Amino acid sequence: MKTNPHRNQSGESPPQWADRLLGWFCTPHKLEEILGDLHEEFAYQVDRVGVQRARQLYVQEVLGFIHIFPSKQTTDSVFFTFLLHPDMLANYLKIALRTLWKNKVYSGINVAGLAIGLAACLAIGLYILDEFTYDRFNTHYDSIYRIVENQKQASGIYNVAVTPGPLAATLTKDFPDVLQTTRVGRWSGALTQGRKAVEADNMFFVDPAFFSLFTYPLVLGNVNNVFLSPDEVIISESMAERFFGTNWASTAILGKPFKLNSDHTLTLAGVVKNPPEHSHLQFDVLLPFKYLEQYDEWSMKWNSNSYHTYIRLRPETNLVSFTDKIQLQIKRYANESGTTLELQPLRDIYLKSTFDFQTDWGKRSNMLYVRIFLTVGLIVLLIAVVNFINLATARASQRAREVGVRKTIGAQRSSLVVQFLGESFLLTSLAVAGALLLMQSLLPLFNSLSDKSLTLPYQDVRFWFFLLGLTVFVSLLTGLYPAFFLSSFRPARVLKGVFTIKTGQTFRQSLVVGQFALSIVLAIATVVIYQQLNFIQTKKLGFDKSQLLYVRLKGDLRAKALAIKQDIQRLPGVANVSTTTSNLVDVMNSGTIEWQGQTPKDEFLITNMNVDADFMKTTGMSLAAGRNFSAQITSDTSSKLGSYLINESAAKRMGWTPASALGKTIKFWGMDGKVVGVLRDFHFRPLRVVIEPFIFRFRPKDYYFNLLIKTQPNAVQRTLSDIGSVYKTYDATFPISYGFVDQDLNTQYRTEQRTGQIVLYFSILAILVSCLGLFGLTTFTTEQRIKEIGMRKVLGASVSSIVTLLSKDFVKLVLIAILIASPVAWWASKIWLQDFVYKIDVEWWVFALVGGLSISIALLTVGFQSVKAALMNPVKSLRSE
Amino acid sequence: MKRTYLGEFEEIVLLTVAVLDGQAYGVALTHEIIEQTGRSVRLNQIHAALQRLEDKGMVKSEMGEPTAERGGRRKRLFSVTAYGRRTLQEIQEVRASLWHRMPNPLNPAMSL
Repeated sequence: MKTNPHRNQSGESPPQWADRLLGWFCTPHKLEEILGDLHEEFAYQVDRVGVQRARQLYVQEVLGFIHIFPSKQTTDSVFFTFLLHPDMLANYLKIALRTLWKNKVYSGINVAGLAIGLAACLAIGLYILDEFTYDRFNTHYDSIYRIVENQKQASGIYNVAVTPGPLAATLTKDFPDVLQTTRVGRWSGALTQGRKAVEADNMFFVDPAFFSLFTYPLVLGNVNNVFLSPDEVIISESMAERFFGTNWASTAILGKPFKLNSDHTLTLAGVVKNPPEHSHLQFDVLLPFKYLEQYDEWSMKWNSNSYHTYIRLRPETNLVSFTDKIQLQIKRYANESGTTLELQPLRDIYLKSTFDFQTDWGKRSNMLYVRIFLTVGLIVLLIAVVNFINLATARASQRAREVGVRKTIGAQRSSLVVQFLGESFLLTSLAVAGALLLMQSLLPLFNSLSDKSLTLPYQDVRFWFFLLGLTVFVSLLTGLYPAFFLSSFRPARVLKGVFTIKTGQTFRQSLVVGQFALSIVLAIATVVIYQQLNFIQTKKLGFDKSQLLYVRLKGDLRAKALAIKQDIQRLPGVANVSTTTSNLVDVMNSGTIEWQGQTPKDEFLITNMNVDADFMKTTGMSLAAGRNFSAQITSDTSSKLGSYLINESAAKRMGWTPASALGKTIKFWGMDGKVVGVLRDFHFRPLRVVIEPFIFRFRPKDYYFNLLIKTQPNAVQRTLSDIGSVYKTYDATFPISYGFVDQDLNTQYRTEQRTGQIVLYFSILAILVSCLGLFGLTTFTTEQRIKEIGMRKVLGASVSSIVTLLSKDFVKLVLIAILIASPVAWWASKIWLQDFVYKIDVEWWVFALVGGLSISIALLTVGFQSVKAALMNPVKSLRSE
Repeated sequence: MKRTYLGEFEEIVLLTVAVLDGQAYGVALTHEIIEQTGRSVRLNQIHAALQRLEDKGMVKSEMGEPTAERGGRRKRLFSVTAYGRRTLQEIQEVRASLWHRMPNPLNPAMSL
């Protein structure tokens, strides 16, 4: 036998089962004193009448107490609320499941709609979360900043993300708050090791502090003594694998000699871990900045802006005063006019970098798109929530009797509210489960749409908390109104049957209008985005991008450009060839220019590229005035007093018309020359920005970096292989690297294309969910009016008149929605289009098209049910009663 | 009615609570009442009466010390509130005045 801890002094104890019995029936807060009294009495009775009799008496006493307190429910409601009694909860659950099952269609519509909405929201949420995790792998994430410039020029203020080379050193010297600095410069080229040659995708010049300022750990090599000498190189793991095979880690590769562009010899100082995907800097080869300083004097000058400068500040630094202090740092050293410095926190670099002249070469995204996606995701969810509210209130009449009975029996309003909220919680939980299933199967599609590799973070506890929070939030959102609406019924009225479906109809109608308005806004936005994308693709750029391909020249081929050009020119499929310093896709070179008639302090940056006399023929550009370069005219190629071609924008900027610009003297990069021709404006930047001034030089003796080749139509493939074999005769080590100008130009709009696609899919979802709701609502109203329809048919109404009767109301609602949505959509499109200087006008027919489309979709949805109702045999509906 | 109605049994319990003066709890009250009145009283009746009296505001209670024979449980000690005391006095007065106004007092010696 178990020892009883409560055994009394005489060693006898009362029957335990009686105690337990009392425990079930007695209010817990009274249990202690009652049991105490009982036990004390038992001890007394044992002494008086013996154990046997005392036990009998004890049981009698216990039963007496049970008689007094028939249930746990007493006047004391502190411990027991009627609401949460297990019996009631069981009843709520049973009723909820019964109504769910009884109305399979509505429940299905509700759960499916909500699941779609939630899945959309989850997908968007994951996307946005992913966008915000950029660069967070850095240990010093919060104290790293990039120095950016505000350049004040006569034509406006320009933000650039690049700074002069000497800046970093002065920052460390002048400000004790600066812990570390590193410059990052971009370079391109190929590395050779033994007989293997690899073209680097992203080659950076960095300072030694790069590795510890950021968190890019070295897998091989000592971080404390790399890059102290200029002739070192560090490669990424993937690069190491390409050079030394998969088991590079087990071979001694440190100190191996590499050749950069087959002229300079570098030794391998380390292997750096591949930069994480969520790093705005992506690189595979790193070179010491010292190397650059050896060969490029511009890297040490204050008047050349080419490098990102990153600093790490002491965490306790006062940012406001620090920003004030560094603002004029350039002026202090270089006397540059109006250029001030600013700090850009690392957290902002990926999402909030909008710099002029393409001076930011990190991976980047756009806050605008984060906002667009967020809005779109929330809209889809909102529409699904509205469905839920609509159907729940529309079906109110079915639940009205239940509410009436419950209230008559004594249900509090609060308990009814809890009941209905609980039901929406149940439905929402089902929907969340459905959303997870949907996400699981559709995530690959979404990943390819958004160009990300998102996964559902099942192993993260926070994710589950988020899901729980989402479920509670959405069930409140969906449940609150129906709960208060349903629980407000007056039992007397409801039970007498004075209850019509009209209750809350205005509210439901406005919800339908809101729903459709949102879907229509999304649909119009989709059309506008696609129109703009189409506009971009077909816009005349000022040159002919079709069948135009470029070949990158590497290493010593740059000096042999003219010879290669001649060989390629001879190929049958080639129309024209031109040697250039840029491929027209991303033109990076720019400098300041001086010109005849320039007022002091009036200066601007002009973009430059070196071309040859065949450039205009190859690209199909045309002259506004003057003549093209010619190899026969010696002054064109002279290094003393050269000739320049400029574009119309440049002429305008310097205060000339194309005609008057001819013969004017300008000085670019320290060389005087005359303007011999003015080219018509062409787009060398994405259509987001206005056409900037451009200057061409003809320098056949300098390096050319590219060949632009115009092929004959329909001969691209064969010509490509021909070009490849010509290339091979000049360079046997490196494979040819080429690209098509039109394709590369297109990739500049990848974000826009992606947004267009995502918005397209989401607006389809939105319309689908809206229609789902409309379908449910129609099914319901037709069911309600089934007798009316029967009567009408008996009295001779035609099918079409009944369909019209049933559809009319809904079509009216959609029309109102179109009226509301159009201005909103127009305004939203304007905001998005602001991003482009060259853009479409939003035209009225877009609204008409989308409006017509949504009316026909709504009609189809409503019509299906209406026709079904109208075709029904009236006998069926009228027989009973 | 001017005051809350007090049943006969309630009155006895309330008086006994007053008699026990701060040491009144279920078992003690039961034994005391059995001893004084000779009735057979059960614990649950006392508890029910005390509950009613407390609801009416005539007694108040607090938890006392635990004892061994109670299995280490505390007892609830009752005491009469001012309102309870006044009620008892009023009952006493009403009875006294009624006795006083009786023209032929029920004197057993005299009735014989």
